[in-house]
Amino acid sequence: MASQTPAVVMDNGTGYSKLGFAGNDSPSFVFPTAIATKGPAGGGASGGAGRPPVAQKPSYLTGGAGPTGHLSAKRGTEDLDFFIGDEALAQAAGPGYTINYPIRHGQVDNWDHMERFWQNSIFKYLRVEPEDHYFLLTEPPLNPPESRENTAEIMFESFNCAGLYIAVQAVLALAASWTSSKVQDRSLTGTVIDSGDGVTHVIPVAEGYVIGSSIKSIPIAGRDITYFVQSLLRDRGEPDSSLKTAEQIKEELCYVCPDIVKEFTRFDREPERFQKYVVEQLGGKKVTVDVGYERFLAPEIFFNPEIYSSDFLTPLPNVVDNVIQSSPIDVRRGLYKNIVLSGGSTLYKDFGRRLQRDIRHLVDDRLRASEARSGGAKSGGLEVQVITHKRQRHGPWFGGSLLGQTPEFRSYCHTKAEYDEVGPSIVRRFALLGGPGT
Amino acid sequence: MLLLEYHNLLLKYILTERFASTTPSSIDQVISDFDGVTFHVSTPESKTKILISISIKCYKDLLQHGAQQVLEREYGPYITETEPGYDFSLLIDLENLAEEAKEDLIRRVSLLRRNTMAAPFEKAIDTHHALAEAAKAVSSESAPQATESEVMVIRYRDEEAMYIQASADRVTVIFSTVFREETDRIFGKVFLSEFVDARRRAIQNAPQVLYRNDPPLEIRGVPGVGDVQGDVGYITFVLFPRHLTQQRREESISHIQTFRDYFHYHIKAAKAYMHSRMRRRVADFLKVLNRAKPEAEEGEKKERKTATGRSFRVQA
Amino acid sequence: MSQSLRPYLKCVRSSLTAAISLSDFASQIAERHNVPEIEAAKSPEVLLNPLTISRNEHERVLIEPSVNSIRVSIKIKQADEIENILVHKFTRFLTQRAENFFILRRKPVKGYDISFLITNFHTEQMLKHKLVDFIIHFMEEVDKEISEMKLFLNARARFVAEAFLTPFD
Repeated sequence: MASQTPAVVMDNGTGYSKLGFAGNDSPSFVFPTAIATKGPAGGGASGGAGRPPVAQKPSYLTGGAGPTGHLSAKRGTEDLDFFIGDEALAQAAGPGYTINYPIRHGQVDNWDHMERFWQNSIFKYLRVEPEDHYFLLTEPPLNPPESRENTAEIMFESFNCAGLYIAVQAVLALAASWTSSKVQDRSLTGTVIDSGDGVTHVIPVAEGYVIGSSIKSIPIAGRDITYFVQSLLRDRGEPDSSLKTAEQIKEELCYVCPDIVKEFTRFDREPERFQKYVVEQLGGKKVTVDVGYERFLAPEIFFNPEIYSSDFLTPLPNVVDNVIQSSPIDVRRGLYKNIVLSGGSTLYKDFGRRLQRDIRHLVDDRLRASEARSGGAKSGGLEVQVITHKRQRHGPWFGGSLLGQTPEFRSYCHTKAEYDEVGPSIVRRFALLGGPGT
Repeated sequence: MLLLEYHNLLLKYILTERFASTTPSSIDQVISDFDGVTFHVSTPESKTKILISISIKCYKDLLQHGAQQVLEREYGPYITETEPGYDFSLLIDLENLAEEAKEDLIRRVSLLRRNTMAAPFEKAIDTHHALAEAAKAVSSESAPQATESEVMVIRYRDEEAMYIQASADRVTVIFSTVFREETDRIFGKVFLSEFVDARRRAIQNAPQVLYRNDPPLEIRGVPGVGDVQGDVGYITFVLFPRHLTQQRREESISHIQTFRDYFHYHIKAAKAYMHSRMRRRVADFLKVLNRAKPEAEEGEKKERKTATGRSFRVQA
Repeated sequence: MSQSLRPYLKCVRSSLTAAISLSDFASQIAERHNVPEIEAAKSPEVLLNPLTISRNEHERVLIEPSVNSIRVSIKIKQADEIENILVHKFTRFLTQRAENFFILRRKPVKGYDISFLITNFHTEQMLKHKLVDFIIHFMEEVDKEISEMKLFLNARARFVAEAFLTPFD
């Protein structure tokens, strides 16, 4: 029977967790990676049971500990009393529960919470018996191997899951781009631009392996765009400038323009470009917010960060170019040819087109300069291609779903029996899924 | 979360979302549930026609015990031709769906697995009532005859099965259970012994629970029993007439079905809790061990400041 | 603390304190190597007599000293199969994190549940009496932890069983 059940794909990100079954085209559940637990704020590492806490500082080794409490409470069912995802946010608004985010900067910060988060994900939301299913989990690039081992320990020892594969998010995002018509060969070489809510990463991947030394992060992502929209609304004194409104305007009305100066004049010429956004406030009152230049100015902070930030000034195309230039020379051509977008903040209309044009300018300028310097040598040119596809929003999840449904997926997993034989260190190595020869 | 839900949350979500929204869109989702049950929600013809199919391991067993009738009763007009590869299908046409029927339909569909599995239980309860009537009719002086029905076998997992038997004064449900792992087996034993004791201690009206390692009398001789190698346990639930009354039977059926998953869920939750305990303990041990390191180490690394405010490290 | 535990721990403490007198000692077998002799066991003349301290048939400590290293192995009390599996789980969890424990051996000596390996390098960096404190603390706590986990398991099982059966009531 275990040979028929679909693999479970879980992509736990800093902000949101994407859960679902392999073979589906979208995750079944997308909710915040949050857990609401009973009692005082987590993170206070209480010493063992029944004794006063030894210290209040969270331990770095254990990643903090769960709820504090006394022996009497521990024998109870305190550890079953929690909520995850949207329910957690709702519960935390009331008394008695505190909200915790078990993942920080892409990495698991509190294993106690993470374990329970998974527990609830599996039994309440996905409703699967982990013994019957294979699991595909994701990890950020440069995840320490100890973190993988901890994950395996939980998945195999607590949940007895049948098999486990842990894939790097960026590699899955590359696999997700195979659905685009622009991709001819299913290679796992490319540059992934992963922009979520908190941070944007540019990750070069060669033959399925992340080039760790060349990864660059940009402190501009979805949340910053929202703040920027909000500040523009506030400057104009719009009737509603809440964060939620700003976010909705960002998601529904923003797009990337080819040239800001021209776009400004175009707005002045064509007044229908100014739009109105109706917000329903608490109590059913409706107010109208005017939406103007922020439609194209907001995503522009990727390309001209100086309009938003004073300390980070490198435009995204330059960052991408630098990343590729700092990668080994023999893969650069592949990296330019396959720039893949992933994450919610790359969904703006024409984002890919603008990025491609800007990077191509940079590359062509450099080629021309070196041609001039070499005195007569001609360059064969360099192909720059940014790939936009329909599954961008949940790119890593979709890539996981795609690979998880392949018949050979199971042979790439480590099974429970193998884990019992070797121990957690087995997950330090995984055969490359979807790599050459498959 | 203590008890497991009876319905499938995802089916409920999808339908609620689809029913509420005005813009139809296509769906193609495979959904899993406990015990290898698979649902397939799709819109094969047009975006407004949602096809929901279920594949369940023991469908053949269930059919023998009246699953068809139960499903027809629950889903009558929505039943459609079964999708290939699945066992049973429903078709919901969003275009002619009464507004007030929606909520009820969502509830019914999300209980699809429960209802499919319910048939043998319903049959057993009906048989029980019939037998009870018969026993009443036969006055006490004549010896009671044939007060037990045959045992219904539901092989709902590869290695595990449910056996249901009705008699005049009770319905017996027996689960066979196999543990693939040593820890689970031992944890399971502790849990089961508490199940057995719970009735004696606190909840007098609960069904009687028995646990043993060899097949109970009721199911000895049933083909397939004892075939499974390894550590098999048998848990018997004896449902008394008070659990089988008209008002209670639906709830009892739903609840008893979740037993196996509930049981395994809590074994796992207990292990998860052990993990967090051990993490805390490791942190504690480390703290004690680190006390063995001389304090002087910290002082050496300390940065010192000059009068102008610049800092420097003291060289060893 | 039960009657026999105190003298048992006291005995372990004084034996350990006496046994941990380690000095730097280069290998006599391989040039320019410095290995824990107790593990290498290649030069019998630098190994000292091992010592077992037993509290009862279930609990004992094995101390194997040598010139530059000492191995301490502990057999933890296991009264039934529940304690057995809990001890197994717990020691496995600890050895998985051996990296952080410096002196924890990744594999216990045969016949014991957990082993520590202390070398002269450890005693140079850490205070000897505190290391002994740690091992004693560990022995005290591990018993407590196992019995608490067992209690928890029973309590949880009872609760879970009652919670399942209550709706029938």
